[in-house]
Amino acid sequence: MNKREISKILARADAACVRAMADAIKAEHEAVVVKAPEKSLTMIQLRDPVQETLFYLGEVIVSEAVVELEGAKGTAVVMGDDFNRVLDMAVIDAACNRGVFRQFAELERLAKEQELAAARENALFLKTMVNFTSMDSEAAQ
Amino acid sequence: MAYVAVSGGEEAIEASIRLLEYYRSGTEMDLELEVVENKLSLLVDRVMSEAGLYSRRYAALALKQCEGSVEEAVFLLRAYRSTLKRSYDTRTLDTASMRIVRRISAAFKDIQGGQILGATYDYTHRLMNFSLEHEDAPALQSRMREELARQNPVLPEPCVRVSDSLKEEGLIERFPLDETPPFDVTQNLLEFPASRSARLQTLARADMGFISGLAYSVLRGFGQVHPTVGELRTGYLELEVPYLQNESESLWIGEVLITEAEVFNAADDKDQLKLACGYGIIFGRNENKAIAMAVLDHELDQGGDYPSQNEEFVLTHGDSLEMNGFVSHLKLPHYVTFQSKLDAVRKTRRKNHE
Repeated sequence: MNKREISKILARADAACVRAMADAIKAEHEAVVVKAPEKSLTMIQLRDPVQETLFYLGEVIVSEAVVELEGAKGTAVVMGDDFNRVLDMAVIDAACNRGVFRQFAELERLAKEQELAAARENALFLKTMVNFTSMDSEAAQ
Repeated sequence: MAYVAVSGGEEAIEASIRLLEYYRSGTEMDLELEVVENKLSLLVDRVMSEAGLYSRRYAALALKQCEGSVEEAVFLLRAYRSTLKRSYDTRTLDTASMRIVRRISAAFKDIQGGQILGATYDYTHRLMNFSLEHEDAPALQSRMREELARQNPVLPEPCVRVSDSLKEEGLIERFPLDETPPFDVTQNLLEFPASRSARLQTLARADMGFISGLAYSVLRGFGQVHPTVGELRTGYLELEVPYLQNESESLWIGEVLITEAEVFNAADDKDQLKLACGYGIIFGRNENKAIAMAVLDHELDQGGDYPSQNEEFVLTHGDSLEMNGFVSHLKLPHYVTFQSKLDAVRKTRRKNHE
């Protein structure tokens, strides 16, 4: 799993699940906070599909934290102001970088759960797909 | 006439601010932010869009703080964001990859990926639903959750754009990728002629009423009349930032709900061989604003004598904070300037009587 995949799962997971994973790491390894959770802004950069220019749409609030675990740094950035979550995510990232993260099975379970939820919601939207039938008068044109 | 320093008013001002609390005290019931976020989501969307800051929770809080005033809520969010530093720009996003929740076209009935109505008020009867006066909210939530659980899962698939096929046919112009760093209107003073990036950012943040009214003027004949909505889509955009310890990796930081519109217009090139396009994109679900933005984008490309075609007119008068600030300042004391106006009138009257 790459950083994007792991952070996507953790950012969407229940806070208690993320806490449990971070607690399991902290029970065996010492994690030191290098940069305490802090709010800042992230600007959304898009490409305009009409003229292919880059532009800024607007900002989101993110929280960021950095921890160190036995010499390995871990960083987390996530939308919102949930400082506990971002700190737990930084601990998990540091554990990954240190090579001591052992809960990939749990991450995969969460990913499947999230994928299923998104697919169910998508099905709800797809129920509103229109099936057009040409009327006689239109077909005649 | 001279300047006169005045003091006093502090106690009255404090009492006035306390009186705002009085206006929010008419009930013992609290307005939970979760309720505002989830049940007034279109209002929350509008505030986020005009503030240029996507934060559902803070937009709900701002609305609660100012009795639901959009311009005050925008002011609060803008003021708050100015206290925060900016740490990141996201990786460049392409909205083609969005997770779609609604997608329609007024140009073609059959579009690749299909037309998905999603949630829309377009087909509702505009009749008051008095049963909502005493709604069983927990029952509504559990009913929807059960419906969701009954769905056969279908993985979301990105949809190609309607304009892509027209570009392939050469009916819409293709532009080369432009890597010029975007102009940022939050950090630089807008200059004219404005870059396209400045235009799009300004319109995305603009007051909905202002740009809807301008777009309406275009449709009524004060502009290039009737564009066709080639595609209107609403969906979730996933945001990523570089992972600073190894920039070849990214961190997924969350997703934002956006609405995007592409409008097609009659050919405006020299040879009349290509359709012209306008583009609009905004935070949240606010289709009319996205369409209005796309209409104005094209009008500004077009140029001309109508207000909607005048870049400075369109881009400098639609910012919620600036327009409301300026109009609002009229009610603040202008004792000295008004006295001089009075003096001038009195002098003229005296002269006329002499």
